[in-house]
Amino acid sequence: MTATALSTRKPGQASPAALLSATFATVRARLLIVSRYKGQLFNEILTPIVLAAMPILLGRATAGDQAAEVFLANTGTANYVGFMLIGSATFVIVSNAFWHIANWLRWEMETGTLESIYLTPTHRVFVAAGTGIYSTGRSTVGAFVAYLIGSAIMGINPFQGDLLIAFLFILSGLIPLFGMTLFYGALVLKLKEANAMLNLMQWVVNFLMGVFFPITVMPIAAQWVAKLFPPTWMTNGVRSAMLGVGYFFKEWYFDLAVLWFFMLAAPMLGIWAFKKIENSVRRNEGVGQF
Amino acid sequence: MTAITPVPPKATNAQVLSTFWAMVRKELTILSRYPVDFIASFAQIFIIVSIFTLAGLTFSTGGAASETTSGVVVYGFIMFMFVSDTLWTIGFNVRHEQVQGTLEQLYLSPASKFASLIARVTHLLIWTSLLSFTSAVIMRSMLGSLPVYNAGRALVLLAFILSGTFGIGFAFAALTLRVKETANSLVNMFQFVFMILGACFFPFSALPEWMRWISRLIPTAYGVDIFRSTLMDYPPGFPELAPVNVEIIIVVAFGLIMPFVGYWLFRRAEHHAREKGSLGEY
Repeated sequence: MTATALSTRKPGQASPAALLSATFATVRARLLIVSRYKGQLFNEILTPIVLAAMPILLGRATAGDQAAEVFLANTGTANYVGFMLIGSATFVIVSNAFWHIANWLRWEMETGTLESIYLTPTHRVFVAAGTGIYSTGRSTVGAFVAYLIGSAIMGINPFQGDLLIAFLFILSGLIPLFGMTLFYGALVLKLKEANAMLNLMQWVVNFLMGVFFPITVMPIAAQWVAKLFPPTWMTNGVRSAMLGVGYFFKEWYFDLAVLWFFMLAAPMLGIWAFKKIENSVRRNEGVGQF
Repeated sequence: MTAITPVPPKATNAQVLSTFWAMVRKELTILSRYPVDFIASFAQIFIIVSIFTLAGLTFSTGGAASETTSGVVVYGFIMFMFVSDTLWTIGFNVRHEQVQGTLEQLYLSPASKFASLIARVTHLLIWTSLLSFTSAVIMRSMLGSLPVYNAGRALVLLAFILSGTFGIGFAFAALTLRVKETANSLVNMFQFVFMILGACFFPFSALPEWMRWISRLIPTAYGVDIFRSTLMDYPPGFPELAPVNVEIIIVVAFGLIMPFVGYWLFRRAEHHAREKGSLGEY
């Protein structure tokens, strides 16, 4: 008897190796496409530096020589350059994760290939995972390079504080982040032409994460909402580890534990929301319509 | 027998105006079909304003910004919105028509090309004016105070600045016809450069001296400087790039000359594309 006959797979079901191969084919395809647009890659490094430069320059103009002192009193660190650069670099990772997933879905819709993806034996989750891996790699490397260049331009030491803990916070923050991108995906499936909403969400994310300020300066209600958003914990964790601004629960492991809770909760919620919308769309107009 | 080629009649002024108005109406109709976009852009302004206000407050003692700081940030932001719209929208629309496959048809119709280009920004100017007013009110309530002096003079200056940026908009549309998809990346890059060198969210004094010299080579930077300085009633140190009269001359000259230069560049790129047959290519 052959191995095929003993297989427990249903006819037409892809093997794990085939599924993995589909994921990596997606990553390769996306990397190949983006490599054709060198300007986009350059912009990706430029974006966090420019974003951080604006509040830095505004602060220097407002507070003059006392900028560091005043910033220390308001935030817990005198290193406002590092604070802003970490904020903007993390923001780019978060914002790109949302955009890449949403754009991928929208692009497949517009080119008429989304319905075909649903019909192939490779589950769509593996194709989406490919986009997720590509997004993580591209944004993390871009943000890191931007942080290094920004630090060099603005004259600060990029490697300070507890780098290992900072790295742990970034790593732990990525999983809930991609869980949350499914909400974005669901939004695109439902609304189709969701560019304005996505633009708005990008700024909401910026606000909630406290990219340019500690969330303690926000009204109490807004602070609670911000704390329900995993990237807020990620940003604050990295800043606390590197600049000592202070963890929400005083110790790094408590904050990290919260992020680990999100590691479970955010993907589950995201999958639930995405499936609900997806089912409703498939029952009604179908996923191919845009 | 010699064949006589009929010369197409030139459009009258009334026809140009009618084309212009029809296109503005079309754009406004499209805009009104997306109420979510409408609400989202208002909300977006509110959030951007909040972000920069809170960021600014981390550098202030007592949680209040000075009148000059408010003026610099609020009026800089308003100028950024106006200039961004007029600079890029014409090019984006030309690109959009290319991708949709309607640009070639548009060029085969006897409609005025100039009116078609201008109409693409007009509806946005109405929209941006509304957003600017809203953002000024929001920021005023958040920052506590906002200087408003010489409003009439500032509006006249704004008209010249916008006229000049229309010219750059034409030039950018010309570039779009040449470089196609790469235009998107160029826009993003130029927008970032403008954000910094145009000092939209901070005073020019925050820039290093060498950067201020580069700013002095950009006419829109003078636009930002003179517009906000006028509305703030020229406090000490403002305008920052040059004396008031010099900045006014630069802005007026920019507003008068640039539209002609930009439109000339656009016609050349368009002529080139038609000769090569690449108008509809994207």
